[in-house]
Amino acid sequence: MFSSVVSSSPAKSYYNYVINPIKLAEKVKVLYVDDEPDNLFGFKASLRSDYHIFTAETIPQALACLHDYPGISVIFCDQRMPGRTGVDFFEEIRVTYPLPVRIMLTAYTDAESIIDAINKGNIFRFVKKPWIEADIIGAIEEGNKFYLAVSMLSIKNIELQRAYDELNKFAYSVSHDIRGPLAGILGAINLANEIKDVDEMKEMLFLMKKSVKKMDAYVLSMHDYYNLQRGELKITKIDFKKLIGEFKSIYSVLSKVSGVRFDTNISQDGIFRSDYAPLRLIFNNLLSNAFKYQDRNSKNKSVEMIVEVAKSAATIYIKDTGIGILGSHIGEIFNLFFRSNSLEVGSGFGLYNVKSAIIKLNGTIEVQSILHQGTTFTITIPSI
Amino acid sequence: MYIEFSFIVIDDSELDCFVTQKFLELSTKNVTITTFQNAEYALEVIRENTVGDNPVPTIILLDLQMPFMNGFDFVEEFEKFPAELKKNYRIAVLTVLTSANNPADIHKILTYPTVNSIIEKPLTKEKLLSLLIQV
Repeated sequence: MFSSVVSSSPAKSYYNYVINPIKLAEKVKVLYVDDEPDNLFGFKASLRSDYHIFTAETIPQALACLHDYPGISVIFCDQRMPGRTGVDFFEEIRVTYPLPVRIMLTAYTDAESIIDAINKGNIFRFVKKPWIEADIIGAIEEGNKFYLAVSMLSIKNIELQRAYDELNKFAYSVSHDIRGPLAGILGAINLANEIKDVDEMKEMLFLMKKSVKKMDAYVLSMHDYYNLQRGELKITKIDFKKLIGEFKSIYSVLSKVSGVRFDTNISQDGIFRSDYAPLRLIFNNLLSNAFKYQDRNSKNKSVEMIVEVAKSAATIYIKDTGIGILGSHIGEIFNLFFRSNSLEVGSGFGLYNVKSAIIKLNGTIEVQSILHQGTTFTITIPSI
Repeated sequence: MYIEFSFIVIDDSELDCFVTQKFLELSTKNVTITTFQNAEYALEVIRENTVGDNPVPTIILLDLQMPFMNGFDFVEEFEKFPAELKKNYRIAVLTVLTSANNPADIHKILTYPTVNSIIEKPLTKEKLLSLLIQV
């Protein structure tokens, strides 16, 4: 048995250290490192009403503070401290905490330490000791602007890189999923001139129709894909009985025609809040796969959907008795344009869209599959 | 057109298999045409087929982008076959060429001795004729 888990947590922890643009109203976080407690006290006392001030007497304390409170945007540091200097400290955090803006506080400076501070410490400003409040406020405001600009830039760069990677994959798949069927249809049209037999012609028209439908489905799932990437959530109370009822009626026809038993079991006690659209997308894709990838030779074909809503989270199981997923493929099934099977060709969008929708709802998905026996998807979604 | 070849068509698209097969039937006489929608299965059938059973030279019309085993993988596996089996076959890549195809991949596939040429879909009489002249 193989299993794979996709959860939204990596993305969340990733965004931890960067600024959330919606929360700009929060106080700017400032760290001040100085070996003299009086300086720290004075600094905090005069600035605490406007800024969130953290202080540290030693470099290890400062490092612990940076670790514990992500989102510190400006760091002030005294140059002359016992043991290591301010420059040493700034140099040390250059790689681990590249984003916060560094400002050197110093009473005494020679040319050499200025050069070191700029070249090694990568500092933004010098402020002379004893400091005037206006200088400090000016430095924080300017530093924070710089910090925000750099943070936003790195978020944008990551988004851009991701969009670019997907575009690359997209360009690659277009040839197969759009130009491919088009070339097939064009070939069929060319051939139509030569075909005399009406039955052969009808067979070809039937295959042409299948190709057109496949292309249409591809375009529709592309639409889903873009909606998921850009859309905002519309949170409402979710009635799972009603939602699953919709699917029950949609799939009952398919269930009869293909001889696949379809059972649902729903238990919902409390109120569950989420967005209908991504939930529909998740269930529709997984159910359609569960019906599509049945073992044609099997006698007891079934699809089972179980929904359990408890303690503000919903757990959904979608089980099928289908062909299963190859162990070496299971880690890749959620990737864009990945296809595991040649019997029934999909668009390569389906499970990727499912994953995106689950991440959007802060949920997790797990898959367990045994080849030739069946696959179970387990989805957990928190109430929002 | 009278020719002494048989054809194997490997393409994951049902419509493309149908069109290529019908086209070959209409343009040639007395040839065997076998179609496969799965390259792995095609490979197996070719492997089982001993030379004595099938003395007619066979042209394999091969699509490139297929799920599971794609055209590139097929050629790589096919190249590992014994020489006396391979000498009976010529591969012609029949595919949709787009800018998304990596030129290095296309170039590489042509370096295999069993690969004869690349033809852009759909197949026409002119393209078939020039393929048959080359083979």
